[in-house]
Amino acid sequence: MSVIAPNFKLSEFIKSLLDNVFWIILILVLIGLPAVFMILFVIELPVIDGELLTPFLALTWMADPSRILPVVQAFMATDIFRVMAFPGFGFAALLAAATIFVERKMLAKLQLRVGPFYCGKFEGILQLMGDGLKLISKEIIIPAKADKPIFWAAPVLFVATAAAFVAFIPVAPGWVVADVEMGLLGVFAVIGFFPIITILSAWSANSKFPFIGGIRALFQMVSFEIPLILSLLGAVMLTGSLNLSEIAASQSSFPWIVFLPIGAIVFFITMLAELERIPFDLPEAESEIVAGWLTELSGMMYGLVQLGTYLKLYAFAGLFVVIFLGGWNGPMVVPPFPEELLTKGIEMGPIVAGPFPGLPLFDQEMLNGALWFVLKTVAVIFFILLPRGVFPRIRVDMLLNLGWTKLIGLAFVNIFIALGLLYAGVLGPGGLQ
Amino acid sequence: MSTETENPPTDAKPEVKTPPPKPAPKKPEAAPVEMPAFEKSISDKIVEKFGDKIEVGFVKEDRVRINVGRENVHEVAEFIRDGLNYDHVESVSGVDYPQDNEIEVVYHIGSYTESSLARQVLVLATRAQRETNPIPGNDATKLPTLRDVFYSVEFHEREVFEMFGVFFEGHPDNRRLLLPEDWADLPPLRKDFAIKGR
Amino acid sequence: MTFTLPPGLALQKVDERIMTLNVGPQHPGSGHMRIIVQIDGDYIVACDPDPGYVHRGEEKMAEYRNYITNIPHLERPVIHDSCNVLYPYVLGAEELLGIEVPERAKYVRVIASELNRCIYIMYWLAIYGIFLGHSTMFMWPAGDRELLIDLMEKMTGARVTHAHFVPGGVRNDLPPNFEDVCLRQVNYFEKRIKEYAAVFYDNPILISRTQDTGVLSREDAIRYGTTGSVLRASGVDYDLRVKEPYDVYDELDVHTNVMKEGDSYARSRIPWLDMIESCNIIRQALQKMPKSGSVRVKLKPNPKTKGLESVYKRVESGRGSLGCYIVSDAKTEPYRVKLSVPSFRNLIALPNLLRGEKLGNMPSVYWSLNYWPVEADR
Repeated sequence: MSVIAPNFKLSEFIKSLLDNVFWIILILVLIGLPAVFMILFVIELPVIDGELLTPFLALTWMADPSRILPVVQAFMATDIFRVMAFPGFGFAALLAAATIFVERKMLAKLQLRVGPFYCGKFEGILQLMGDGLKLISKEIIIPAKADKPIFWAAPVLFVATAAAFVAFIPVAPGWVVADVEMGLLGVFAVIGFFPIITILSAWSANSKFPFIGGIRALFQMVSFEIPLILSLLGAVMLTGSLNLSEIAASQSSFPWIVFLPIGAIVFFITMLAELERIPFDLPEAESEIVAGWLTELSGMMYGLVQLGTYLKLYAFAGLFVVIFLGGWNGPMVVPPFPEELLTKGIEMGPIVAGPFPGLPLFDQEMLNGALWFVLKTVAVIFFILLPRGVFPRIRVDMLLNLGWTKLIGLAFVNIFIALGLLYAGVLGPGGLQ
Repeated sequence: MSTETENPPTDAKPEVKTPPPKPAPKKPEAAPVEMPAFEKSISDKIVEKFGDKIEVGFVKEDRVRINVGRENVHEVAEFIRDGLNYDHVESVSGVDYPQDNEIEVVYHIGSYTESSLARQVLVLATRAQRETNPIPGNDATKLPTLRDVFYSVEFHEREVFEMFGVFFEGHPDNRRLLLPEDWADLPPLRKDFAIKGR
Repeated sequence: MTFTLPPGLALQKVDERIMTLNVGPQHPGSGHMRIIVQIDGDYIVACDPDPGYVHRGEEKMAEYRNYITNIPHLERPVIHDSCNVLYPYVLGAEELLGIEVPERAKYVRVIASELNRCIYIMYWLAIYGIFLGHSTMFMWPAGDRELLIDLMEKMTGARVTHAHFVPGGVRNDLPPNFEDVCLRQVNYFEKRIKEYAAVFYDNPILISRTQDTGVLSREDAIRYGTTGSVLRASGVDYDLRVKEPYDVYDELDVHTNVMKEGDSYARSRIPWLDMIESCNIIRQALQKMPKSGSVRVKLKPNPKTKGLESVYKRVESGRGSLGCYIVSDAKTEPYRVKLSVPSFRNLIALPNLLRGEKLGNMPSVYWSLNYWPVEADR
């Protein structure tokens, strides 16, 4: 890592400073101001102290910063916030980015290497950003005879579907982007969309290696969908509802994995197959078909597909946590919000900074739930990442054999166990719960 | 076609030439070369079966060399495989002798199954006629293939064909192996193909 | 067709059902070689290996240089295993020039040869792992082989392509204290490679992928003229260090590893067992080596051979028996040098093994033939 310092010229230095100032002003004016105004005008503004908050009033936060708190709280209750930030895209993307970094580091330590090291002061933590910038700056090459509309649309569709999947996962009680009554069926529908996108992308590339990779991906995803669905039905039977929030809430005493371990194992294996992770990464098998269905994607299209893949990883891990590990349930470790701040304000000697309306932003239940959910998801993701360092790749006929015979059999065993538990009165109405 | 002895043994005068045996000045042994007994028995068996058609090149420790003419090489190879229990060919090399107008093809034959022959390598050499302006495949530089006798010569004979221009009649697949498909120059390992700059 | 094809080219009909796939030089699963594979669905119907992408004309170049200056370029076919590629050439040149090598030089040569064998097999194993999609199996051997490359660097000054063997012995003596360092590192190396059993050889997915694929029967292995680990995995007990010992191998105790199954799993396991055997040989050689003595017979600058003669020497390298046929004509340059490389000989088995195999088995069968593309092309 050597940096060759150019000769220092004062005129160039001033020019670079002025350039930065110009760009900052330009971006602020062209993007920042409209964004602020859009937020203030599009979002339903709350009623505070009996008065409707107008944008002008809202801008008075520059005089008294504590006035921004009710606005933030109102904003957090809106749909847009849920979709973009907390249980939705922003949160998922953050976890996905952390997953990628942890995967590279953990795999490196397993393999006696160091992993990302130079980018960023602490152990290469900015490596992802560097990779993202690199992918944005690369040229997107489209094969000459490819089917251009579908080829361009496929990565975008992939990310959109992955984001739709993320929308179903409840993170904390009441915090879910799409609270659908038949949430689990919606999840199955969205998962069923992935093979279609894969085969569209592979077919439209009009080349031999994506063709073989796409067909393998189709085989893999389709043949593992049935065990996936069947293995989750056991938990549905025990809960009596398809709503994911209710399934999570019903595990307040104990998680379902205690009673349905086989289902959890089957779901874990099918999850690895749907995510195309090693040992099931046939569609991207490097040594046989270059990069499978990703061969012809370059630049940001590849970046989008990777983003979609890791969003899917987070969503599947979240699903596993919600259904088998108890979702957000866990002992209360978050301390309650101090009462005095709400009623009396902060006392700093003779001055009393008055009680701030709008606090608390996050209530205790939500923080606790989110914390336990994140911890459990991280643990599941760790176990998903681990086989990459240990196993080689499985072969296509072994994969199909596994999916169509053994896993379906085990999933049925799981359903019978669930039925048995219900009829024996161990669980369900009149049972342990 | 007469084959010349190209490789006299390292010790005193060879036995095949008929001048009177002179006592070799350095070695105190008598004129007959002390040939290792086991290798001598191998060469004796071949001489006994084929007599005049072959010529023993040398008999050294672990190496016996037989020079054969083009017409008989297939027969001799079959005898080597069936009668002497050699079972595979280790290497096929061509050596270009422009001064004799011939290209020599040397087969090194070994044995995995017969334990007494584990160290032995039989060197079988034939000669093909050489042309000054070769058209590989369509001129007189031809030899019968040994592929039906020893399957292991398959890729080696293809390489000798492309490097020397020696066409092996009966080989099912005389295509290019190492050279690019559009090579239009002389076969490279011939002596008249000069590396540029040397 | 009215025109006749020049010899060396063949016409091929394009079929509708059978797809021709170029597992070509630009492919993460092929090495520096092209394999033209015709597949019918998932099954390989025909296979046509197309080596020659790294053909540099080693044998032609050898005719222009004298016996000593031939050394640096003749070792290039396998850069990791360079001592073993030079070994038969050096033995042949010594016989032609009539030199007798001192004892210590022979031991140093044996140690260098065994170290090179381990270095090569580790690299081969790393690539085998990555062909199967096992990235840990790529990183571990590539990392552990640095221990041995370190030793070679102490001995010869170069990490790969050592150019250490010369007709007359080795170039330089071992550095002081080399024996202790070597012993320590070889012991640690052996401990490390025994851990590979847990992550690789006993891995159930690996076993299910490579067992009973690409089965080479004993008769076929002998008929195709295969050599080295491919031969020993099919049940033929043949190791040149035991059958035709050269240098001081007749004083060392070498055990040959043989497996009977002849499938890809056996072919991938035999080199690993060979490496453990090499560690034993190195320890024995370090013990028995004469503590002092010269390691080189100094030759005159342009050595000339005595007469018109030819010599064929062979040596057990990391891949199998490597032979060198030198024809000399009493000049300073050899008249003809032919390297009979084991990769080229094992390549004959490839089309026959791949016929009827699934496409998914292609990398595991192809690379398990202990094939080094650069060496086959010379």
